[in-house]
Amino acid sequence: MQVKEIMEKKVVAVTRATSLRQLLKIFSKFHIFPLVPVVDEKNRLVGIVSFHNLIDALKPHEPEVLKTVPFLDEREEDIFKMEISAEIGDLVIVDDIMETKFISIREDAPLEEAYKLARLHLKGELPVVNDAGKLVGMIGAFDIVREIFRQKGVF
Amino acid sequence: MNTILGLGFIFLLALLAARAINKINFPAVTAYLLLGIGIGPALLKIIPADVINASGLISNIVLGIIAFGIGQNFSRDNFRKVGKSVIWISLLEACGAWILVTLVFLIVLKQPFYISFLFGAISSATAPAATIMVIREYRAQGNFTDTLLGVVAIDDAWCLIIFAISLAISQAIYAHMLAASFLIQVFFKSILSIAGAFILGSIVAILLSYLSRFLRTQTELLTFTLGFVLLNTGIAIWLKLSVLLANIFLGAVLVNINKTSSNFFDSLKTVDSPLFLLFFVLAGANLEIDILSKLGLIGSMYLIFRIVGKVVGASLGASISRASRSIKRYLGLGLIPQAGVALGCALIVKNDFPEVGGMIFTTIVATTVVYELIGPLFTKHALFKAGEITVDNS
Repeated sequence: MQVKEIMEKKVVAVTRATSLRQLLKIFSKFHIFPLVPVVDEKNRLVGIVSFHNLIDALKPHEPEVLKTVPFLDEREEDIFKMEISAEIGDLVIVDDIMETKFISIREDAPLEEAYKLARLHLKGELPVVNDAGKLVGMIGAFDIVREIFRQKGVF
Repeated sequence: MNTILGLGFIFLLALLAARAINKINFPAVTAYLLLGIGIGPALLKIIPADVINASGLISNIVLGIIAFGIGQNFSRDNFRKVGKSVIWISLLEACGAWILVTLVFLIVLKQPFYISFLFGAISSATAPAATIMVIREYRAQGNFTDTLLGVVAIDDAWCLIIFAISLAISQAIYAHMLAASFLIQVFFKSILSIAGAFILGSIVAILLSYLSRFLRTQTELLTFTLGFVLLNTGIAIWLKLSVLLANIFLGAVLVNINKTSSNFFDSLKTVDSPLFLLFFVLAGANLEIDILSKLGLIGSMYLIFRIVGKVVGASLGASISRASRSIKRYLGLGLIPQAGVALGCALIVKNDFPEVGGMIFTTIVATTVVYELIGPLFTKHALFKAGEITVDNS
């Protein structure tokens, strides 16, 4: 069975220019903050925003290249005491906080591969792309597990 | 004290020391180093001899991991992102210190060429931890800060390359000082060490990338990555190739051929901190206090001319890349701290050149302590002058 057969096709995606305020608004009705795909004007997947990136928005900006620096002390920031102005809702956009290195899966990949990838990289869900790199859906570990239960006649 | 008890003490004391020093805004690495000096053979003698004897082993493993991580900077994407100024400034400040310190040691201090060359190469390293701590503490931001962050993030890559080349040449000179045909031998030995490291790193990267498709869990990913870094390091030692370059090439080739390469680098982050801690404590413990008093002149020349080399080099790089006036004038002052990479390189020198290695290593440990303590003050001054922090500079 292929990923495209069970993936969720109705996906809420954002663009690089979506503001933090809009982002929080869109997902405020969700039970938890999901893995949000970021697409360009041609619907190509260019990044992802996770809950961890939202925390980054609370901290002063640091370039991605610092991730490769050895011996760096972890930055301890008390997010309860951060001085943040309301303006960052409009000033911070998705492009500032999204991750550009991420795991995605092709729509014609087998379910086994999707499950293996999710497990290996400790991801609850993965964005699904077609041959052209365009976002076509999302698949979660739960979708796969549910499909197995369904096949076994559990529900 | 038995070895394991000694290790237990090292870890827990280091944790305490790091917490304490963080309170006065110095990075943990400074605490580890000072702790190592304090509990090492020079003073309290708490660290067991077995652990001290393992310094060479630990430093090779740690440097292998660091070099592998630094290799990931060499992605096409990264070069595009960091910009021209950062590349020019980082390259020239590293080379500035390398050349100036080498010349001063050779001409003023009348040291043999290979010793001067090694001091020069080690002097090209910068330690980002202290600089970044100041930037975070004062919430500095702006163009100057961004350039400074970029430079400290990538300049260790240049340092490791400079050091690997200098080491290969120095080793060849050291081994063939009396041979008549030594220039040709030096040249070929150095080329072999560097080219061999490139071939080895590339083959291991391709193998790692190919075999990674069989991985199933995060634990396997960590074991697999660590295994390959050790394999690469071990083969490089065995074939007498540059360990540093072999691992830089492993990381650099991997990041360019594997789309999900960040997972390999990230997985190592879960185990590297205790290793790094041990590495710094042992670096401190290897300080030879009895020769310290004889190093006054060498130490002060190194302290001064490394700074001059970095400031002049950074300024030159800023001029070439047409960076702003404040970057041209003050950026070099943010590059004074020296720590992990310099100490690691000095430990290699200590192992490879038994007669002079102790002197070189002790100089580097002592100057590291001085640089780590004064570096933040210079960084603060530079950021203030650049107008990117608003503190009373007194």
